[in-house]
Amino acid sequence: MSAYEKVSQHSRFHLLPQTNQLKGLMTIIRDKKTKRGDFVFYSDRVIRLLVEEGLNYLPVVEKTVTTPMDVPFKGVAFEGRICGVSIMRAGESMEQGLRDVCTSVRIGKVLIQRDERTAQPKLYYSKLPNDIADRWVLLLDPMLATGGSAIKCVEVLQEAGVKEDRILFINLICAPEGALAMLERFPKLQIISAELDESIDEQKFILPGLGDFGDRYFGTDE
Amino acid sequence: MGVTAKGKRGSTLLLKSAGRPPWYTHDGKNIPAYMVGIAGGSASGKTSVAKRIFESLDVPWVVIVSMDSFYRQLTPEESTRAFENNHDFDHPSSTDYASAVRVLSDLKQGKATEIPQYDFVTHSPSSERQHVYGASVVIFEGIFALYNPELLKMMDIRIFVDTDSDICLARRLKRDITERDRDPLGILQQYERFVKPAYDGFVRPTMNNADVIIPRGLDNEIAIGLMIQHIQRQLDERNATLMRPKLVGQYSGACGLKDTLITLPQSNQVRAMQTILCDRSTPRDDFVFYADRLSRLVIEHGLGQLYLEKKSVETPMGMPYQGYELPWNVAGVTVLRAGGVMEKALRSVLRLAHYGKILIVGDPESHEPRLHYVKLPHAMDKHQVLLMDSTIVSGANAMMAIRICLDHGAREENIVFVSLLATPQGVYAIQAAFPQTRIVVAMLEPNIASDSLLIRSGYGLFGDRYFGTES
Repeated sequence: MSAYEKVSQHSRFHLLPQTNQLKGLMTIIRDKKTKRGDFVFYSDRVIRLLVEEGLNYLPVVEKTVTTPMDVPFKGVAFEGRICGVSIMRAGESMEQGLRDVCTSVRIGKVLIQRDERTAQPKLYYSKLPNDIADRWVLLLDPMLATGGSAIKCVEVLQEAGVKEDRILFINLICAPEGALAMLERFPKLQIISAELDESIDEQKFILPGLGDFGDRYFGTDE
Repeated sequence: MGVTAKGKRGSTLLLKSAGRPPWYTHDGKNIPAYMVGIAGGSASGKTSVAKRIFESLDVPWVVIVSMDSFYRQLTPEESTRAFENNHDFDHPSSTDYASAVRVLSDLKQGKATEIPQYDFVTHSPSSERQHVYGASVVIFEGIFALYNPELLKMMDIRIFVDTDSDICLARRLKRDITERDRDPLGILQQYERFVKPAYDGFVRPTMNNADVIIPRGLDNEIAIGLMIQHIQRQLDERNATLMRPKLVGQYSGACGLKDTLITLPQSNQVRAMQTILCDRSTPRDDFVFYADRLSRLVIEHGLGQLYLEKKSVETPMGMPYQGYELPWNVAGVTVLRAGGVMEKALRSVLRLAHYGKILIVGDPESHEPRLHYVKLPHAMDKHQVLLMDSTIVSGANAMMAIRICLDHGAREENIVFVSLLATPQGVYAIQAAFPQTRIVVAMLEPNIASDSLLIRSGYGLFGDRYFGTES
């Protein structure tokens, strides 16, 4: 079984419903001719959908309320505290989408870059909420290629006391290699993504991908 | 006849005295508009009779269409003659009957239509057109109103106003001198050359097509009174019964709902948001926040129902991607006021949609829907329509909104009705009337009170809670 098949059938890998509308959004943000205004607008729209989907993996408790017509309604209530952690710099593009649905959410940041001597990902900076060990974490990074920095980041979270089954990794596009590496390395972590791509090239770029997300979103390629 | 200082005649009058009750049956089919034809000689008092009829009828939306709107385009020679007061506007051939048939047939079927305007200063049809929608009674008046067989067929009652020709001439003189600044000799010449022969040769014979002939025009109060009574009786017979009990009564628990109903997946977040909205102790800040958040999810789900064309693009990696093109032709139509909440969500995800608004207000006593205002984008036939309202209870408002979109040319299969909450009764009624319209809802809530036909559970009065107008 190929990595692609393994990932797409994996019980801890979740894709957004693959509607034509979603494909329409992805068509815009993947198109190399798309202008930055549109790239940002439509990326934000997909990010909002991803955040909403990610939050569905948080627990709820049953709760009965009284409606304005004075009859009981059996529903549920949110439970469990959350925070966001973005992998700098591209992951920061997803923070606003999280804030839009969870106002005043706490957000930690992690900077991981490749060490030129060892070619391994190295932690340069991290600033996390003090009580992160008691929280669910939405880990934000738009592109999952080899999974090198994401794996390093999860290790950082684990050292800070976060439980693995409380980490939801949210991204727009996954390469099968990276997704599989993460799912196998962390047997309780969940991945939520908009689309699963074919592969990565020698430079570790996702194919067909969308190029460098951070450059296109923040306008540093112009 | 709507004469204005600029000499424009034939302006159409749409008169609204109150909200419009349903103009269709509970299965969603339009009841044809009641059509009155009024003919008679020039200045015989046709317009006055027409106005008296609409004033007397207990019908909120009436339109008076003048035949003057349908004067055809003149040839260059005719036009020259017209400026010399030498063109025969009183001949049957001066009217574009095809255009009149098209417009009146639209009105008869309850469709929105564009009525041409004729400019008497330039003697040509004006580029302006008047948009008319929503008349339950259509009054068509003009000297040749009872001339064309196709028009006659559409009419429910045909009236000929038979006023003495001396009186007609006297009125015509007075009108043309005071209102159009013309000299008496010219008017008399025109009368002898065109008006009189046309009346004797073409207008008077159409009296044979009339159901009612009114001698002495408006002065004949007995005849007019009888005629109005007759029309009122015919209108009362076709009046739809109360819509809501009928719609709700169609459903029994055993009826299945068809798969045009698409319910948002009841995920943890969706259920938790619904619980907050249902809770009467939720503060308004939270109510607004979660209503907006849930709206956005329902709108995204509704957009997922649209038809998209395939499109292939190249990514920055030089690789092809087979995707879809977002549609340009989305019309977002909100049922005010509560549907406006969802329009906000649509605007935040779709930049290029066209927006329409419909104001439907429940009658204070019967709660039956009444249409007060409608403004939709052009070319509804080419649009995919996202119709938005916060709640579907009996389905009566939703049906009216769908009917309006169809009357403006939208195709039933291109309508997606999006709502935060619906009852099975309401959904069933919509599906029975409009089987191709898709309905996307966040929650299906079975609790409807059989006495008041109001929803018992759910969010309460959604618009009031959102906008902070609770009493």
